[in-house]
Amino acid sequence: MLFCRGFSRISTTPRKSLLGFILSRPTEPSQSLLSNQYLYSTIKVCGGRKAFSWSLPSLLGIGRQIHHSSSVIEEQFDPFSLVAEELSLVANRLRAMVVAEVPKLASAAEYFFKVGVEGKRFRPTVLLLMATALNVHLPEPAAASVGDTLTTDLRTRLQSIAEITEMIHVASLLHDDVLDDADKRRGIGSLNAVMGNKLAVLAGDFLLSRACVSLAALKNTEVVSLLATVVEHLVTGETMQMTTSSEQRCSMEYYMQKTYYKTASLISNSCKAIALLAGQTAEVAMLAFEYGKNLGLAFQLIDDVLDFTGTSASLGKGSLSDIRHGIVTAPILFAMEEFPQLHSVVYQGFDNPENIDIVLEYLGKSHGIQMTRELAMKHANLAAAAIDSLPESNDENVIKSRRALVDLTQRVITRNK
Amino acid sequence: MARAALLCLLRHRTAAATSTSPLSTYRCLKTSNSKTPAAGVGRASFCRPFSSKAAVNDVIGMDFANTDSGVAVMEGKERLDPFSLVADELSVIASRLRSMVVVEVPNLASAAEYFFKIGVEGKRFRPTVLLLMATALNVHVPELPPAGVGDTLPTDLRTCQQRIAEITEMIHVASLLHDDVLDDADKRRGVGSLNAVTGNKLAVLAGDFLLSRACLALASLKNTEVVTLIATVVENLVTGETMQLTTASKQRFSMEYYMQKTYNKTASLLSNSCKSIAILAGHTAEVAMLAFEYGKNLGLAFQLIDDVLDFTGTSASLGKGSLSDIRHGIITAPILFAMEEFPQLRAVVDQGFDNPANVDIALEYLGKSSGIQRTKELAMKHANLAAAAIDSLPESDDEDVIRSRQALVDLTQRVITRNK
Repeated sequence: MLFCRGFSRISTTPRKSLLGFILSRPTEPSQSLLSNQYLYSTIKVCGGRKAFSWSLPSLLGIGRQIHHSSSVIEEQFDPFSLVAEELSLVANRLRAMVVAEVPKLASAAEYFFKVGVEGKRFRPTVLLLMATALNVHLPEPAAASVGDTLTTDLRTRLQSIAEITEMIHVASLLHDDVLDDADKRRGIGSLNAVMGNKLAVLAGDFLLSRACVSLAALKNTEVVSLLATVVEHLVTGETMQMTTSSEQRCSMEYYMQKTYYKTASLISNSCKAIALLAGQTAEVAMLAFEYGKNLGLAFQLIDDVLDFTGTSASLGKGSLSDIRHGIVTAPILFAMEEFPQLHSVVYQGFDNPENIDIVLEYLGKSHGIQMTRELAMKHANLAAAAIDSLPESNDENVIKSRRALVDLTQRVITRNK
Repeated sequence: MARAALLCLLRHRTAAATSTSPLSTYRCLKTSNSKTPAAGVGRASFCRPFSSKAAVNDVIGMDFANTDSGVAVMEGKERLDPFSLVADELSVIASRLRSMVVVEVPNLASAAEYFFKIGVEGKRFRPTVLLLMATALNVHVPELPPAGVGDTLPTDLRTCQQRIAEITEMIHVASLLHDDVLDDADKRRGVGSLNAVTGNKLAVLAGDFLLSRACLALASLKNTEVVTLIATVVENLVTGETMQLTTASKQRFSMEYYMQKTYNKTASLLSNSCKSIAILAGHTAEVAMLAFEYGKNLGLAFQLIDDVLDFTGTSASLGKGSLSDIRHGIITAPILFAMEEFPQLRAVVDQGFDNPANVDIALEYLGKSSGIQRTKELAMKHANLAAAAIDSLPESDDEDVIRSRQALVDLTQRVITRNK
């Protein structure tokens, strides 16, 4: 009955909203119980054909499962919990890696790796999920054969990418906060506010250098290139933001380029690095890249929306911070297309708070927010499509991880903080 | 013409030697020694009395180091200018560097290329050393490749080694840019520092940018050992800067701590890039280690003299104010030596140098002590170690190789006899 019902419901809905339906349920972090079980459905959508296979849920003490049978389709497991243990491992290693002999540097460097301030650890989550999605498994604990040693080594190397990515990310945060004179980050004082600009610059350099050393240890120069490119992009993106001419500030193209550099490049190139290290083909590596890129773009676009619509409490930073810093983001750019008179206000800049109010008024009248959300969804779907295009696998872990990656694309656009 | 003179001398010496036995080699050297300045004596002690190698190499080495000797190799008493040996190649590298730091965003571009512009590239000391080392390790300079190959993958060895020089220079400048931000410096290489001109933000970004470009270039070499070495350099630079920024009192008095910091800040770049040159050329671990030792000791000698000049030099010649170290509270070798002689100086150092009166007191003690002298001696010791490393390289009859090794040895002397 479950099957039939599920089948009939699914067969009548087009793919896009199918996924939306399945995945739009509010997430409950407490569902970690389910996430570790084979509670799963695979939906392979190829062209117009819809083929479904259900793996029957394991009956191992999943009370919720049995009593809420209708929620099999709707139960959403938490992608973050799929990799929670591994994330802890990575986090511990990260803390160990940023230890330095010089005490002040040590406390500076580990500032954002301390428990409680590691952020959402979004990037490492994506990377670890990607690793599994590309068939590189966590080794079975009991295994002792050579094959498993290789797997262990490979998995460790992929975890290393996650660590390196996080170090580069935090290094860029440290430098950015110096550049922006920011005083808060992740709910606590920024490092530069606490220890001064100098130590913040130095700590950023230190993290970058540790990332370099770890990168070198991977002994894969293509991966070194990819992540070196990321650093360059981060810098270029930041500079683009700092030094835009008036014309560029009004250009959607410029904005998307800047957004790619500042946000998406890190995820896209590190996903690609994961694929390369895992020995995948160039096509698969490109799919991984596309996933990361579109996920990152979607993430940033929603971030832009939330800067207008969110609250201080939920963001951890003041809202309207972009516009107050004179940063013109997608919603405004869309609004400017609808209301050309907005151009002159933007040209004037936002040192005058009145201009901010004017802009907000126009924004409210326009479809700026809506259009930005739609653009974000477009990218989220592109990301999901990339995952769907990966070579098929019957492995449950692979399927689960891919599911989680797709799930993430939805979370990114439905989050409200 | 100079080459002809060199060859003449070679033939002359070879004919004159009654045998190539180690003993006669030693005697030859010893005779010349008596006229040599201290530098020469130091070097002689490192010659190889039991080497069965022909006397030729060593003799020529001695003459170069021996500024008083009447037997200058170049008939016109011309000392070989190490910088001129590689001048053409340096231009090629400089052009490539300028094109490598080009980027779409104009502000970043002008920031990044700030110190690669003609006139402000500095002495280009490091690239000179590296190019000389490349030749010294038996690799000839081919026809210089046509311009505009900056972005293509280097295929031949020489190009790869040139790339090491470029990478090294980018890392060096990146560290300068950040250091100037950290030190609030307003002058560098005789012009305004980048942070003074464009602000701290762009200086930090430009430094990051150069670093990433360096990493990209490094990856293009496709040699993971080299990547590791240079990555270590970056880490050492940061560690060294941090050591300087955050010393506890006890550490400030420690010569060991100081030398470690100096290695990190100055010598690591030279030593590891020299080693990279050797590795790229496919040399053995022993040769690579000799290259490393050369770079390390050269760098240490360089910095020690730098410390001395900060006390004894002038603004005009240094391009930066003298006494800048001590005014920034940085305790260098001369003061450390002085403190050994005059323990009462410690109390003054402890108080710090915000009070200019303390600077005067410290200078007074320094003058009474043999701090300057001992620092110079230590520098000389390292310079000689560097020269010895070159001497220990596997023999070669190739003129270019010999000349480059001469030049490298000559540099060790220049480093300690310079006054700016």
